[in-house]
Amino acid sequence: MTEAALPAPVTAPAVDRERLAAIGFVLPSFVIIAGVFALPLVLLLGVSIVDANGLTFAHYKRLLGTPYYLGVIWNSLRLGLLTTLIAFLISYPAAFALARARGPLRSVLLATLFLPLAASVIVKAFAWTILLRSDGIVNETLMALGIIEDPIRMIFTETALIVGAVNIFLPFMILPIYAIVAQLDPRYAEAAATLGASPVGTFFRVILPLTLPGIIAGVALVFSLSVSAYVVPTLLIGEKYPTLATTIAKAYLLAREPGFGAAAGVVLLGIAIAIVALSARLSREPK
Amino acid sequence: MSEAAPHLVVRGVSKRYGPTTVLDHIDLTIRRGELVTLLGPSGCGKTTLLRAIAGLAQPDAGKVELAGRDITNVPPHKRNVSVVFQSYALFPHLTVAGNVAFGLKVRGAAKREIDAAVERALSLVKLGHLAGRRISALSGGQQQRVALARAIAVEPDVLLFDEALSALDRKLREEMQVELRRLLQDVKATAIFVTHDQDEALTMSDRVAVMNKGRIEQLAEPRELYLRPASLFALNFVGLSTRIAGTVLAASNGKVDVETKVGRLSALGNFQTGSSVIVAARPEQLRISEQGDANSAAGRVRSVVFQGSRTLVEVDAGAGESLLAELSGRDGAIPRVHDEIRLSWPVTETFAFPMEAQA
Amino acid sequence: MTRAAIIVCWVMAIGLALFLIIPLLVIAAASFSPTPVFDLPLTGASTRWYGRISRLDGFWPSLLLSLQIALFSTAISLVCGTLAAIAIARGKLPGAGVFATALVSPLMMPGLVLGIALLQGFRAVGFAAPWATLLVAHLVITLPYVARTMIAGLARFDFTLIEAARTLGCTYPGGVLRVMVPALAPSFLIAGIFSFLASFDNYPVSIFLADVRTKTLPIRMLQYIEEAPDPTLAALSTLILAGTVILLFVSDRVVGLHRMAGTSD
Repeated sequence: MTEAALPAPVTAPAVDRERLAAIGFVLPSFVIIAGVFALPLVLLLGVSIVDANGLTFAHYKRLLGTPYYLGVIWNSLRLGLLTTLIAFLISYPAAFALARARGPLRSVLLATLFLPLAASVIVKAFAWTILLRSDGIVNETLMALGIIEDPIRMIFTETALIVGAVNIFLPFMILPIYAIVAQLDPRYAEAAATLGASPVGTFFRVILPLTLPGIIAGVALVFSLSVSAYVVPTLLIGEKYPTLATTIAKAYLLAREPGFGAAAGVVLLGIAIAIVALSARLSREPK
Repeated sequence: MSEAAPHLVVRGVSKRYGPTTVLDHIDLTIRRGELVTLLGPSGCGKTTLLRAIAGLAQPDAGKVELAGRDITNVPPHKRNVSVVFQSYALFPHLTVAGNVAFGLKVRGAAKREIDAAVERALSLVKLGHLAGRRISALSGGQQQRVALARAIAVEPDVLLFDEALSALDRKLREEMQVELRRLLQDVKATAIFVTHDQDEALTMSDRVAVMNKGRIEQLAEPRELYLRPASLFALNFVGLSTRIAGTVLAASNGKVDVETKVGRLSALGNFQTGSSVIVAARPEQLRISEQGDANSAAGRVRSVVFQGSRTLVEVDAGAGESLLAELSGRDGAIPRVHDEIRLSWPVTETFAFPMEAQA
Repeated sequence: MTRAAIIVCWVMAIGLALFLIIPLLVIAAASFSPTPVFDLPLTGASTRWYGRISRLDGFWPSLLLSLQIALFSTAISLVCGTLAAIAIARGKLPGAGVFATALVSPLMMPGLVLGIALLQGFRAVGFAAPWATLLVAHLVITLPYVARTMIAGLARFDFTLIEAARTLGCTYPGGVLRVMVPALAPSFLIAGIFSFLASFDNYPVSIFLADVRTKTLPIRMLQYIEEAPDPTLAALSTLILAGTVILLFVSDRVVGLHRMAGTSD
């Protein structure tokens, strides 16, 4: 009986094989993200600092140096802030009611959240143009109720823009908040109460901190989406409210100023990245 | 007088959820410093009763009084009644110290006071060294102690435990039972414990309330509960027993003669002749012997289970009846499976209960 | 919660639901308008606008294009994204967290910026065929939805179930097929639906890659709205909405909307 050396342990090669397989599984997605997402963005950065004469910061100087374009950036930020604030104030309490709903009521309410999500921005913005016309439903209703005498000019105003933006981005605020609130253990509130916290105290000391991750996610998402909204301002307010998004579109589709458009794009991207970084930082705070 | 004065009084509390009556006219009086356990199977109402005392559930009828004050309609945050939950409900966004300090912070206590109280509470549960830890970094046993410290730190009038030890593994659980008992006695707290584990109830409590279907079937000291169960349910829920069905032949002076399938047995009880009863006795009362005046029955040994200090012997007495005896080996050799033996037990330790549809 | 707080919450919730539904109802109502002007409330009902949809300038080609792009990009993303999610969830991948974040990152980025970046990028490498560029671009649109949904779904999947299957006689692939596929099917469906809709409805990326002859449906629709809005568009929008309702209904039956809300944060 020849007891040759025991066969080498099979574990090491198997682990390597699994690792290789894992990398193989991820590779196609990685190629897509790297090649069709990351690289073009880097290229964009490059395009933004180039014009007919070579390397230049002229585009950024124009974008960040002229009062007009500073105003444009401020318009975008303001759109983002107002939309986010209003959406939050509506969504936060609503999420609690939604979390308590059961059965068919819950299904119906959730359907009202998902259905608009699945409809195109264009369809929804179009609906608002119909609603807010001088002969549209809103005006007709207000006049029928006797609240106003003559139709109010609503379309192409900032009000229309904000109403439309809030309407379109609302589901993105409430869904992350709802996801957290729905999983909130009622025992926490009960524990706080038995320890002496009033309902208000329980809310600020326990409920709010525990729902914070959802709030941060919703706020970040809605701000990011509304700052860069294009279709909504275009249809609901038009030229009167230029934003970074409309500036980019104009630069590329009309004025043929790719360098400038790229610079505007980079600024917009910078804002989006800042939001993501800030929300990640806030979420990582010790809980 | 203050030590023995009633501290918590529950009067006629009832609660229904839809068609189901969860609490049925509960009366319960607890003295200051007492530890009373509510013991019963799932659905008996013990947790609901606990929550009613805490203010987390509103009774449909009845009153709850604490130290003479009617707190039935007082919201939980004004009752000064702390609860330790089964899942602990420790706030994940606060540290250990933050959790323990919570109740005091809410009351607006001064920082120095809070720090001192937190330190005191944590040292009582022996977790002083973990004050700055995150909850997620703690083991189950440690979390349990933090929950306890948090409940104690506010110096509540009553401490409530809702199956608080159920999530622990057995050894830890037994350790905690002893520690908890000692701690509660040190702090002189009035406490109510809810559990479905009869060993836990017997170990820890001054008194035990056995609950079934929304009623308290028996409220007694553990010893009394074991030796003199008031109902078939209490008999079954706490400890083991031999149970034999029969019909009453004769009754006099609190004793009845019962005809059963294993012969004529005598028991303590008051019944009409002809009633259907269950005759029962605790296993440690059964001995291998032929005693003249005692109850006795014979049969073939079905199983012998060695449990260290005692051995449980199950005997098939024929006609579907079985006897359960706990033998210590001091009265002679432990029988073996298939042996034919005769067991006897005293009449004074035999109970008779009315036969219910479901025992 | 106090009674007052509960009432406020319910008012907000009902208000929110109505607010979200109203534009959709308006569109549906307008599609039946008897006159070319949007006459609401309706004085009559006419379905003639539905008939006129097919006669919209360039409608059929753009519908076909949008469907094709959405289907193909979703299919490819489902495969790539699911494989990646499996690798990430298994835990054998070095840097799994980084990959997961990278895969999902396009969701937070402004689509418009991605659109112009791709325009520049494709030009730079001479990649100009409109259909192909759209498809490649939509991969970036759909992949993050798949990745997010499948990673969440797989995070909840217990891989020891496959081991259990193997001890009961399955091969490894057999175990995967019999145990993992059924468990992941709901997530797969949700991922597919979200991706399809994201691609079908996309405007900010597509607008930069389209040309005069290659326009996706959203691009066409915005054109119609800006040039000559009439109830035909409302009719078209209503049909699209109806299709979405059916999709959502199917999802609710198979998965449950409540679960979708939990996974889609």
